[in-house]
Amino acid sequence: MITRQFGSEVRWMLRRPRTLIGLFGLILVPIIISFGIWTAGDDGGGGPGLAAIIEGNGMVVPIFTLFLSLNLLLPLVASIWAADGLAGEAQHGTLRGLLVAPVSRVRLLFVKLFGLTAMSLLAVTLMAVVGIIAGTAFLGSDGMATLSGTTLSTGEGLLRIGLFILLVTFQMVSIGAVALAVSSATEHPLVVQAATMVTIIVFQVLGQFSSLDWLHPFLITTGFPGLIDVMRDPIPLGQIGDSTLLAGCYLLIGTGLAAIRLVTKDS
Amino acid sequence: MNKRKVTLAAAAAGVITGATGLSLLAMPAGAGQPPSLPDVSAETLVEQVLTSKPSAFGGTVEVDNKLGLPSIAEIPQLADGKHSARIWTDGNGKLRLALPNGQSEQTIVDDGTTTWSWNSADNEVTKSEHKADEPKPDTGKAETMDPATAAKQVVGLTKEFSDISVDGTARVANRAAYELVLTPKASEKTLIREVRIAVDSELKMPLRVAVLTNGTSEPVGLVGFSEINVGPQDSKLFEFTPPANAKVTTPEAKEEKGRDRMPEMGIEQALQGKDPQIFGTGWDTVVGARIPAEAMTQVPAEAQGMVDRFTKKVSGAWGSGKIFNTKVATVLIADDGRVVAGAVPEQVLFDTIGQVK
Repeated sequence: MITRQFGSEVRWMLRRPRTLIGLFGLILVPIIISFGIWTAGDDGGGGPGLAAIIEGNGMVVPIFTLFLSLNLLLPLVASIWAADGLAGEAQHGTLRGLLVAPVSRVRLLFVKLFGLTAMSLLAVTLMAVVGIIAGTAFLGSDGMATLSGTTLSTGEGLLRIGLFILLVTFQMVSIGAVALAVSSATEHPLVVQAATMVTIIVFQVLGQFSSLDWLHPFLITTGFPGLIDVMRDPIPLGQIGDSTLLAGCYLLIGTGLAAIRLVTKDS
Repeated sequence: MNKRKVTLAAAAAGVITGATGLSLLAMPAGAGQPPSLPDVSAETLVEQVLTSKPSAFGGTVEVDNKLGLPSIAEIPQLADGKHSARIWTDGNGKLRLALPNGQSEQTIVDDGTTTWSWNSADNEVTKSEHKADEPKPDTGKAETMDPATAAKQVVGLTKEFSDISVDGTARVANRAAYELVLTPKASEKTLIREVRIAVDSELKMPLRVAVLTNGTSEPVGLVGFSEINVGPQDSKLFEFTPPANAKVTTPEAKEEKGRDRMPEMGIEQALQGKDPQIFGTGWDTVVGARIPAEAMTQVPAEAQGMVDRFTKKVSGAWGSGKIFNTKVATVLIADDGRVVAGAVPEQVLFDTIGQVK
């Protein structure tokens, strides 16, 4: 029963033209990055983090792309889906029908959360797959060189990419869950997107001030840079674990607030 | 109606759990209850530390640095703040060291015959083979990052000049340890008040070193394991193959290229040179040297600017020069090229510099 609802939710999301346009825009990112580095050639080397080792190391492109996109692009996409999920339906008047239907409202929330998760996973995986193809095509690849100077075999590299896909998707879903809580409280999808993006940007700005370092452990954006540890060898699990736990707390808070709002909402 | 209340309670519990989780994550990990260990005399413990065999281990080292050193781009780990490093050793001289620096990483691997030094920021590997006539490989940097080796050296060098005591126990990286305290004797003219070394109760290996100076209650420098697993390590960790696209250079070539970029090398080389002059013993040892006049004039203008920024001008009966103060050490550079340095107040340096030949 619930699996059917899950299926129809994802189908419904995939049928919207803006979802398809959004996904198409996302897969352009790794292509543009690979092309840019390929045309920059040898003088493009150097720089912090992954940018320094990406030359001739195409398998790093998916990780580099997702790592960059996590700061702004992926939260934006998650907020669009969360906005459509509840506020969008409220605006069209279709949420009313769902709320009076003999379906538990908590179940409705889980269906929305599932749709968000499935779409996030799809978007991140698409970006990664296109990244692998474009990176290998433009930059070539011979296994995957890590930040630690070791070279992983292609199989191990793919496992790292898989792990990174899961970690990034989880961060995205956590942001989406908080956006769903906002979405349950308004009828205007734009409010949801604006609130989510403003929060992410403000968090990143606050993260720059060392005088506010007591606040940093509470900000979900603090956990983003630590995910780069996937590219170290052997993988240090400390920061990755902390980032994931931090996102998990946001997921709980977001889901809980959305549930409270939905259950108390007049139909 | 009743079901609705249950749902609300569950959702509220979720929110509260999330919020509690956030504050738990933000809290620094507690030190935990100090373990209870059988008493041990300070002398025995020192003896055991000095004779303990290096064992194979892998772990994470945290460095908390409040020394007041300027940040030098080449060695970001020296700048004030918290840094971490990962270290693996097989106990027989093979070593792997991973120094994360923001999103980049430096890796140093010593496989027994060759030392590889990789820096992801330049995509460059420096390869230096150990020479046959030089049995002790140059792992100076690696050793300073390894609290076990560094602490052992400190104990060996200073035990005669210190009052040594065992001050309770501590839990470091989830291992029970004794707190060994080295206090410089009253006759030592040093900036350092005490050095606390947490010694593993089982392996007698130092796990943490804290340096406290006069006038502060918090350690100015703290190096210790935050995580350690003792036992044989994966032998693959001690091998290194440069990535296909990396530049591979030798230290000689790199030095040639970077000489004009690193002015501090001049002072460093002078102090570590063929015959540094040592004055005094114990904690107030002063190292002296003379920088050749041509090296003094070769310093490029921008490096001169950096030196000026971190030093202050001083003069006295001994002449005039520049003094560089940190919380644990002082360096005095006279205008005529004499250099003295030590973990001592500046007055000791003024008294000593006249003896530099």
